[in-house]
Order: sequence, then C-alpha cells, then structure tokens
Amino acid sequence: MSELIVLGLKLGFLALLWLFILITGNVIRTDMFGRRVSPAELTAQTKPRKARRSARKLPHTLNVTHGSKAGTVLELGGGLLIGRGAECQLVLDDDYVSTRHARIVAADGGYSVEDMGSTNGTFVNNSRVSQPTPVVAGDTLRIGRTLMKLEK
Amino acid sequence: MSQVVYRRRRGVEAFMLVLAVGIGLGGYLLTGLDTQAQVPQEWPWALAIFGGLALAAHIAVRVRIPYADPLILPTVVLLNGLGLAMIHRLDLGDSQAPHSAELQLTWMAVAVAVFCLVVFLLPDHKVLHRYPYILFLVGLVTLMLPLVPGLGLEKYGARIWIKVWHYTFQPAEVAKIVLAVAFAAYLVDKREVLALAGGRFLGIDLPRPRDLGPILVMWLASMGVLVFQKDLGTSLLFFGLFVVMLYIATERPSWPILGVLLFVGGATAAYPFFAHVQTRVQSWLDPFADYDRNYQIIQAQFGMAWGGLFGTGWGLGRPNLTPLPKTDFIGAAIGEELGVVGLSAVMMLYAVLATRGLRAALGSRDPFGKLLASGLSFVFAIQVFAILGGVTRLLPLTGLTTPFMSQGGSSLVANWALTGLLMIVTHHARKPVAEHAPGGVVASLADDSTQLIDVEGAAA
Repeated sequence: MSELIVLGLKLGFLALLWLFILITGNVIRTDMFGRRVSPAELTAQTKPRKARRSARKLPHTLNVTHGSKAGTVLELGGGLLIGRGAECQLVLDDDYVSTRHARIVAADGGYSVEDMGSTNGTFVNNSRVSQPTPVVAGDTLRIGRTLMKLEK
Repeated sequence: MSQVVYRRRRGVEAFMLVLAVGIGLGGYLLTGLDTQAQVPQEWPWALAIFGGLALAAHIAVRVRIPYADPLILPTVVLLNGLGLAMIHRLDLGDSQAPHSAELQLTWMAVAVAVFCLVVFLLPDHKVLHRYPYILFLVGLVTLMLPLVPGLGLEKYGARIWIKVWHYTFQPAEVAKIVLAVAFAAYLVDKREVLALAGGRFLGIDLPRPRDLGPILVMWLASMGVLVFQKDLGTSLLFFGLFVVMLYIATERPSWPILGVLLFVGGATAAYPFFAHVQTRVQSWLDPFADYDRNYQIIQAQFGMAWGGLFGTGWGLGRPNLTPLPKTDFIGAAIGEELGVVGLSAVMMLYAVLATRGLRAALGSRDPFGKLLASGLSFVFAIQVFAILGGVTRLLPLTGLTTPFMSQGGSSLVANWALTGLLMIVTHHARKPVAEHAPGGVVASLADDSTQLIDVEGAAA
C-alpha cells in the first residue's frame, strides 16, 4: 500500500476516535439538565396502565390481613364506612383510628377510598390519600394498625 | 411543582455502541492492512463475536436498567475493543505468534456474562448496604491473599498475584470492588460522628482519637501491602480510595490532609528498608543510570518518542521491544502506535467513565448510592492514573493493570462487574421518582408506635 493511504487511514482512525469523544461531550451536554415535567404529566404516563388493570381487576371484598380484626372478610357492596364509631360497618378498636376514619365508595364502575378527615391518615399502597383514590384488586389499605387488602 | 426527568437515551447508547464496535474493529483491520496489506480473513467472525457481546450487554441494560447512563457502556466497549486490537497486534509482532487476543476475547465473553448476571441478579444496589463489616473483612483478606505462602506468587519484584493451578490472578482487582462497597456502607452509618465530633487544631477540624480506628486499620493494611507485597500502586489505590470516600462522606478537608501526611510519612519511613521500592523510584527519576535494569521503562520511552504526535500507525511501530507490552505496558504500545493524540483520547475515555460515575453520585438520591458511585469511579480513576502515570514516567511504575485494555481475565471480569454495579446506581439515580411509588407493597406495622395518638377521637 502507498504511504499516503497508510497515513490517511491512520489519521482517519484517530479522527474517528476523537469523534467518539466529541459525541460523548454532546451527550453529556444534552443530558445535563434532563427534561422538566409537571407531576400531572408524570401521573398521566402511568395512568393508562392503571385504567387497563382496573378493568380486569375489580375488587369485590375487603380482607383484613393484620390487626385486631385480622381474618375478617367484608363484601364491598355499595360501600363501606371504616372507623372506631359504632355506626361503621368495619369497627376498628384502635387508638390510631378516628371515629369516622375513611370510607370505600362505589364510583364509576369501580371503588375508591376516601379519607374522612382522620387524624392519622389512610394509606393506599403505603401512600397517604388526600382525595378519593380509585383502588383495584390487590391494593393494600392501611388504617391505624390495621392492614387490609382488596380482593376480587 | 415540576421536577426533572432524565430521558432513557437507550437509542444514543445503541448508536455509540455501533461507533465503539466500529472503532475497535477498525484497529484490528488497520493492523492487518498495515502489516500484511490485506484485511484478516477472520474479520467477519471478530465483528460477529465482538459486536454480539456489545449487543448482549446493551439488551441486558435495556431490559433491566433502562434509565442507566448511556455513555458508560459504549466507553467500556470501546476501551475493551482498543485493548483487543492492540493485543492482536502484539501477537503478530511476537516471534512465538501466541493467540492471546483470541483468549482475551473469550475472557471478554465471560466478563460480559458476569456483567449481565450483575445487572439481572442485583435489583438494587441498596442490598449491599447491609454487610459493611463482612465485606470489609472479605476485601482485606482478598487483598492479603498474595502473602499466603504457596498461593502467592512473586513476579517482577512485586507480590500481587496468586497462582491457582497454572492460572495467575490479581486479587486486588476483586478487592477494590468489595472494599469500595464496604467503605460506602460503613461510612453511610458513621459519617455524622466522623464529621461532627472532634476539636480544632491550626484551623483544621480534627476527628476524635477514637474515631481514628478505621483509618488507622486501613493505613496499616495499605502499609502492609506496600511493605510485604512491595507494590506502591496497589497500596496507593486502596488507601487513596478510603481517604477520598471519608472526605466525600464527611465533607471535612482534615481527612485527606491527615491521609496524605500518614501515607507520605509511612512511605518515607519505609523507603530505606526496601530495595525493590528504591529500584522503582530510581528507575522513575533517572532510568538511564542503569540501562540494563531499567530496560523496560527505557524501551517504553523510546517507543512513545518514536510514535510522536500521531503515532506510527497500527502495526507499524515496534512495541514488542518493551517487555510485557500486553499487560503493564499496553499504554506505551498505544502511545507508540497511536501517538499522543491516540493516548490522550484513551485517557479522555477513562475520564468520561470517571465523570459519569461522579455525575451519578451527584444525582443519586440515597447516600449509600452517592458514596458507592463516587468510590467506584474514584478507584477506577486512581488505577488509571497510577498505571498510565507509571508508563509515562509521571510516577514510579506499579504493577496495576490498565482497566479493560490489559491482557488478563481477572482484571477484565472484575472491571466489567464494577461497570455493572455503577450502571445500576446510575439507573436508580436517573429514573423518575414517580416510578419509586411502591405498588402493593405491605407496610411494616412496627412503624406505628411513634405516631401521634388521636386525642380528639378518643374524647368523642
């Protein structure tokens, strides 16, 4: 091979090597700040998956798994009121439970959990709910020291 | 409230991987063109195996850690490819014509398999947080393995190898990962007490004497490595790792100051008693005083001088004149055939790896991930600094490997495993928080004992 070709190939190889580094630099630049999104967009991304799941997994019963009432199974029916007061369908005798703590209501084909201004909060899948939250079978519900699971 | 979300950028990674595989293969093809005026006949096989391994690693990342940093994998593949091409080129230049490039490619397959295993089996780096002391012990024992009589092997004056059957292995390569994890786990728990307790002296905050225990143990261990294994690089690697992680965890400059003083003091005190270390220092400061003894380092300097700015070109230099060109002196071989331009590109690639690791440490949300990512990147950076510094005579020469490039299976496997761990941390640092929300995970009811009691409800 002529020396010119050898020289050209050698310089070409080095140029390619540095091109790789230049592209690396560009990726670092464009990656610096990420993309700013609002929480609504974040939840919108996860929403469709949940909707699909709920169609398949409508809950029918509430199964108490931990706490003083462990083992109790309740039909959801038209809704349930949970608390320490006597008027509740599920009475939980627990210092951490308010008199009228939370309720499960039937809403557009499924069920949702609503906190009724309790002191210690109602937790669906470990996150505290502040507004009516749709639930599906398999979700966990925690009120005071009682843990419940929604099942088909 | 809005928040920042990183894009997955797996497409960018795929593109850069193609480029990296192309450059690695380019080195291989150019070697054939320059030495035999034709491309090697096996080149489709080389492309298929090398490209296939890169693809396998990419798929593992896509499936398991889709938010991982897009630059780490291509950079690693490129360094690995350059190393393979250079080992192949050195095979050709060797009069015995060994097949070490093929062997190295086999080791790369093992290393990529280990990488995939790490990525698939370790869901989260946080599980490693649980066993600081066990890992610390395992790491120290691994580090000291070459001192076991019958198992350790002394080569070229340093005792940093072990030999099992007829197979040699550098345990420091594994120990650096284990100890980086152990330090991170230990410091996450202890950083407050290390940072806050203690008095001031001459304007710097000093830690309490009893908190000095771990740093003293580590200092003794690295001095032990220096004295008994006679290798400055390994000693520097581990002590440097520990001191830097202490600094990152506590944010107090007194730790590195203390560490440097301890290390320099210890090394200076030990210097007159160890002929091997003296030899290394003399061949660093004045190699031409004894041409025969410093033959290796002198040949490397001649090679790099001949290579000059743009190098001689693949296959056109004579890097085989330097003893051990495939392991310790692969940096010199690169410097000879690719020149300053090529060698500094290689150093830039190592810098990219280290900075991406540190970037992940900055972005990581949990303190253990922060410390782990910074420790892993730093151990990597200091290793490259020690060996390339040694080859270019910036530092006394050490027997460390050049990560991903040197011939040697243990080093390659360990460094790919380190890459896997680092990429898992970057995945968790970059993935959107919304995906962190636990889906159907049952809470521990033991947490409830600290909640406020509902006084109003009790009254009602």
